[in-house]
Amino acid sequence: MESVLFGIGVTALAGALATIAGAAEDTESNIGSQGDPNSQVQLAPQMGYIHRIYNKAVSGEPPAYGLWVTISAGVAWAFMATGMNPVLALVIASALAIFVQGVYATTAYLGRTASLAKFEQPVYIDVIKSVTTVTMAHAFVAVFPAVVMCYLLIAALGHPFPLPLLGIVWGIALGAAGSATGNPFYGKERQYQSQKFGAGVPISASGNIVRYAEAGQRSSLDNGWFTAKLAGPASGICFGLIVFLEIWRTVLFEDVASGWGAIIAGVVIILIFTIIDRYVEVWARKNYGPYQAEATEEVSA
Amino acid sequence: MTAIAAGSGGGEGINPVASAIGIVLILITLAITYFAVPAGLAALVGVIVGGLLIGFGIHFVPVGGAPAAMGQAPGIATGVAMLATGAGLAGLFGGAWAAANPEFSFAVVIAAGAVGGGLMMAITCLMVNIIYIFGMGIPAASGKVAKDPITGDTQEAYKSQGTEGHGLPFISYVGGVIGGLLGGAGGTLIYYELLQVYTATLPGMFGADAAEVLPIAVSLAGIFAVGMFLVNAVLAAYNITGTIEGPHDPKFKRFPRAIIGCATASAVCGLFAILIVMGV
Repeated sequence: MESVLFGIGVTALAGALATIAGAAEDTESNIGSQGDPNSQVQLAPQMGYIHRIYNKAVSGEPPAYGLWVTISAGVAWAFMATGMNPVLALVIASALAIFVQGVYATTAYLGRTASLAKFEQPVYIDVIKSVTTVTMAHAFVAVFPAVVMCYLLIAALGHPFPLPLLGIVWGIALGAAGSATGNPFYGKERQYQSQKFGAGVPISASGNIVRYAEAGQRSSLDNGWFTAKLAGPASGICFGLIVFLEIWRTVLFEDVASGWGAIIAGVVIILIFTIIDRYVEVWARKNYGPYQAEATEEVSA
Repeated sequence: MTAIAAGSGGGEGINPVASAIGIVLILITLAITYFAVPAGLAALVGVIVGGLLIGFGIHFVPVGGAPAAMGQAPGIATGVAMLATGAGLAGLFGGAWAAANPEFSFAVVIAAGAVGGGLMMAITCLMVNIIYIFGMGIPAASGKVAKDPITGDTQEAYKSQGTEGHGLPFISYVGGVIGGLLGGAGGTLIYYELLQVYTATLPGMFGADAAEVLPIAVSLAGIFAVGMFLVNAVLAAYNITGTIEGPHDPKFKRFPRAIIGCATASAVCGLFAILIVMGV
């Protein structure tokens, strides 16, 4: 009984850490413009829209986070092998991984932006100074809990994988969950606020991103401020639920029916999520109705 | 491996010459394994089956890439290889955990991996729809079919002007979960088979106890499983080229050549993974 209670406690802690990691991951990627919507940031100058949005998407979020979490996990593992206190090892390793992220962010921004020189897109030095440090800070908030979660899974729950390997697994899963959930909100709702709410962005509007904030030109810091309110928490809930439910069903039901208990619990959870999804889909169709071709608002605006 | 992927690229059908080369390559790898590490033959077959499960499963995962992030196309707003890998690795996490328990049967281990991948996709797909519907006010609509094959919902009227659809229609959601299940099962199968080979042969190679070499066996099998997952995911992503809505998408019909390509790539990768225990 005590071991089950201990397992549930660790599960809850791992889920909470994953939620923080997911929320910070999405906000970091939106400030650094690393998700899929980055194609619009890259495209905008070619369409004549010069902007001050950071763009460091040389690779997608999942491999990038796979790299950073694995660096942190690998360095922490090496420190611990030398006898360092685990807490200290995890903090220092995460900080070191974030320096790699900072170098990556700077070179990616300079390289990507310099490639747009022929479209007269300048490299803003103040954008490098202000945004790089902010993405590094958010990356630390994403990477540190992810690595601590991996360490917990090994030290407390006895997962057989070594720490660096678990870092690859959950780093890529963290990037995949954040990139899938948070990106549409950043892409459509933030970059295309001039477009009608409740409709997708027409293909003809590609590259016409919103470039001005309430006072002056918008920088990527405004993106973090905006998406931290919905896309970040949603990504956090997504990744947190994945980690929590994955461990929860194993810890509680693994001993039932020689292993099948955890599998049946997983299938039941999948069915519950499927029903919720169908309900949400039908709700949207009923409440929003079919697409209305706008005749008055957009034309007169 | 590269030649086969390149040979079958571009068209819709199966390239007979490339497929024949692929099958010959698979037979050669099986023959080499039979003579070099006889105990690894069954494992190599398992690795090949795992690889083709991954390749097949990835075709179910609805991925819309950058257009999906703008609400211009249905699917999840990320890359095919990345999302499928995320789901498959979440499955591998559960499968490896189950494999560490000696009381669990082969079926339990594979099913644990499958459910782990399916669960990851179910949660992700639901959150994607929640963001579309409550964050952006857009209902789900497919651009590839007039009616959802499962629910019968009409699609055309809900599509925004100038887009190919948006959100995740129910068929795409179900496709995502199936893709996660198959990917998780495939990745776990590769891990499990390699783990069996390593736990059986490594103690003899190192002249050590089974318990002492177990961490090395687990790490090696895990690294190879992750690597082969990425190989198969990227191969299948090249077959899909860009975006896919799920099993109802016309691109889904391309899966047979991905299966041949993934089986061949897995056979070659699996051969190297098994040959390292030859003791040379």
